[in-house]
Amino acid sequence: MSAADRCKLNTYSSSGGIGIVGKRLAALTALLSLLLALPDTTAQTRPTQFDVEAAYLLNFGKFVNWPQNSAQPGAFTICVFGDDPFGPMLERTIAGEKLEGHPVTGKRIEDPQEASGCSILYIHASEATRVARVLAQVQGRPVLTVSDMPNFLDHGGIIQFVMVGDRVRFEVNLQPTNQDGLMLSSELLKVAVKVRGAKTGQ
Amino acid sequence: MLDLRHSAIARKLTWMNVLVSGTALLSACLAFFAYDQYTFREDLIRSLAAQAQIIGSNSVSAILFNDPQSADNTLSALRNQPDIIAAGILTLDGRVFAHYSRSPGGGFAWNPRETANQTYDFRSNELLVRQPIIFKGGQVGTVFIRSDLNERTRRLERYGAIAVAVLLLSLLAALAVSSAFRRLVATPIVDLAETARIVSEENNYSIRATPTGGHDEVAVLIHAFNNMLAQIQERDRELQQAHDELEARVDERTRQLMAANRELEAFSYSVSHDLRGPLEIINGFSHILLVDHGRELDDYARDCVQQINAATRRMSELIDDLLNLSRVGSTTMHRESVDLTSMARTVADQLCRREPSRRVDFVIHDCPPVEGDARLLQIALENLLRNSWKYTSHHQQARIEFGCEQRRGRIVYFVRDDGAGFDPRLVDRLFKPFQRLHATSEFVGTGIGLATVQRIIARHNGEIWAEGAVEKGATFYFSIG
Repeated sequence: MSAADRCKLNTYSSSGGIGIVGKRLAALTALLSLLLALPDTTAQTRPTQFDVEAAYLLNFGKFVNWPQNSAQPGAFTICVFGDDPFGPMLERTIAGEKLEGHPVTGKRIEDPQEASGCSILYIHASEATRVARVLAQVQGRPVLTVSDMPNFLDHGGIIQFVMVGDRVRFEVNLQPTNQDGLMLSSELLKVAVKVRGAKTGQ
Repeated sequence: MLDLRHSAIARKLTWMNVLVSGTALLSACLAFFAYDQYTFREDLIRSLAAQAQIIGSNSVSAILFNDPQSADNTLSALRNQPDIIAAGILTLDGRVFAHYSRSPGGGFAWNPRETANQTYDFRSNELLVRQPIIFKGGQVGTVFIRSDLNERTRRLERYGAIAVAVLLLSLLAALAVSSAFRRLVATPIVDLAETARIVSEENNYSIRATPTGGHDEVAVLIHAFNNMLAQIQERDRELQQAHDELEARVDERTRQLMAANRELEAFSYSVSHDLRGPLEIINGFSHILLVDHGRELDDYARDCVQQINAATRRMSELIDDLLNLSRVGSTTMHRESVDLTSMARTVADQLCRREPSRRVDFVIHDCPPVEGDARLLQIALENLLRNSWKYTSHHQQARIEFGCEQRRGRIVYFVRDDGAGFDPRLVDRLFKPFQRLHATSEFVGTGIGLATVQRIIARHNGEIWAEGAVEKGATFYFSIG
C-alpha cells in the first residue's frame, strides 16, 4: 500500500461530519414522519364526544381526594344513571384501571336509590326531571356527580360537561363538595372552564 | 522570553515570586475551573430534569382533559429561563400536545418512540432532556426540554475575569513581597557585589562591605569577604615592605658597584696612561739605536731592535684601545648631528693612505646623519672599518662597503666586507672584550675593538649585530636609538 493510498484512506476515515449529518437527517426524518403521522392518526381514530367523556369520568376520579370511607369495600364504581351514551366504551376505558388502589367497575342504574353506592355518578342529560331526586339521594355522601345536562350545576351537581368548539370541557361547582367531603385537586380546577363556589379571599 | 541568567538578582527574586504565585494561582484556577465544568454538567442535567418534572406534573390534568392551552401556559413559564431553546409535551401516542420555543419557529428534534425513561443527550452545544410524566403510577406523556450551554460559556467568562483579577492582585502582592525580600536578601548581595566591583576595579583593598547584622548565609559571605580583604591588605603590606627592603638593598649594591666600576675605570685609565711614558722611552731609544747606531749593529741585533720597535707600537695601540674602552664608559655624552658618511670617507682615506699597496675597493653610500656623540661614534666607525680592513688583508682584491637601509621603521647602518668572515656559531663571542676568533699570528689585534663599538652603540641606546660565514665576509649592522 503506498503512502498516497494510506493518506487517502485517512481522509475518508476521518470524515466524521457525515455521521453528524446522518444523525440530523434521522432526526429530521423522525420529525417529518411525526408531522405526517399526526393528522393521519387523528383522522383514523377520531374519538366521539362520549368516548372523551368516558375517559374524563375516570380521570376525574384521579383528581379527587376521596375520604377514607368513601368507597364500597374493594371497588370504585362509576355509575351511569338514565340513558347510556357510552356503550362498551366505558368498560373499555376503565378496564384494568385503578383508583386509590382499587379496581374500577361500571354500573348502569335506573333507580335513584342505587346512586348512593356510586363513587362517580354520571347523569344523562335526558334525566332532567329526576335529577333533583338523584342529587338529593347522594347529598352529603362522597359521590362525584357529573352530567352534560344544562344547568346541572344550578341543580347542585359538581361537574358539568360543556362543549367549547368541538372540544369537551367542563365546569365545576365546589358548593356541594363542602358537605360531602370530596376534595377536588387544584390541577383539575386549573383545566376547568369555570369554577363555581370557590372559597376566595384566603 | 526573559533570560534570568543575566538579570540582576533583585529582578530574579521579583520574577521568582511572580512566577511562583502566578503558577500556583493559575493551576488552582484551572483545577477549580475544570471541577466547575464537570459539576456544571451534572447540575444542568439535574436542574433540567427537575424543571421537566415540574412541568410534567403541572401538565397532567391538561393532558388528561385535553387542554393544550393550560399546558402551553405551564410551558410558557420557561420564558424566564433564557438558556432553554425549546420544550414540549408529547402524549403517549406520540402527538405534540404543547410546545414552547425561545425564538419563533424553534423546532424539536426528538424521537417520539424513545419516551419510556428519563434520558438526556449532550450534544456539542446543547442538552436534550426527556422526562416521562408519571401520574398515579402510569405514564401519561413525556416532557422534552432542549437547553443551550451558554451558561457554561458565561461561567467560563466569569471565571476568566475572576482569575485575571486575582492574578493581577497576586502580581501586586508578589511585587510587594519581593520588594521586602529585596531589602532582606538582594540589597546586601547587591551591595557586596558593588563593593567587590570597586575593589577589583580600583585595587582598593581598604574598603569593606557593610555587614547586614543578620546571621544568614549572606552575612557569612560578607564577613568572609571582609576577612579576605583584610588578609589581602595585610599581605599587600608585607609584600610592599619586602619590596621596599629589596629596592633599598639593590640601590645600595648598585651604588657600591658603580663606585667600584668607577675606581676600576680610573685605575685602568691611569695604568694605561702611566704605561705610555715608559713605552714612549723604550720606543724613542730603540728608534735612536736604530737610526744612530744601525750601521754598528750586526743583522741579528738590528732585527732584535726592530722587533722591540714593533712590539712597542703594538703595545701603544693596545693602550690606545684600553683608554678608548674606559673612556666610553666614563665620559659624558654630547649629542649632536653626526655625518657618518663623511666620517667613513675620512677613515677609508686614512687606511688607504697607510697601506697604499693594498687593493681595496671602498664603497661609501650617502646616509642620513644621526643624533649622537661625535667623538664616540668616530671611535666606533673607525673600529669597524679598521676591522674590515684587517680581515680582508689576506685577500688580493677586497671590497669594503658602508651604507644604510630601512629596517622595521628605523635606519640601520652597516659595514660589510668580503674578508675572512667568522663562524656564525661563535657570533656571541664577537663583542666580548679580549675574546678573539682568530689567532694573533693570523690577524694582529687586541680583542678590544668590537667590545668598544658595542659599548658605544649601547650608550646610544642602539643595537649591534653581525652576520657572516667563514671566508664569506662579515657584515656589522648597527642602529642608533
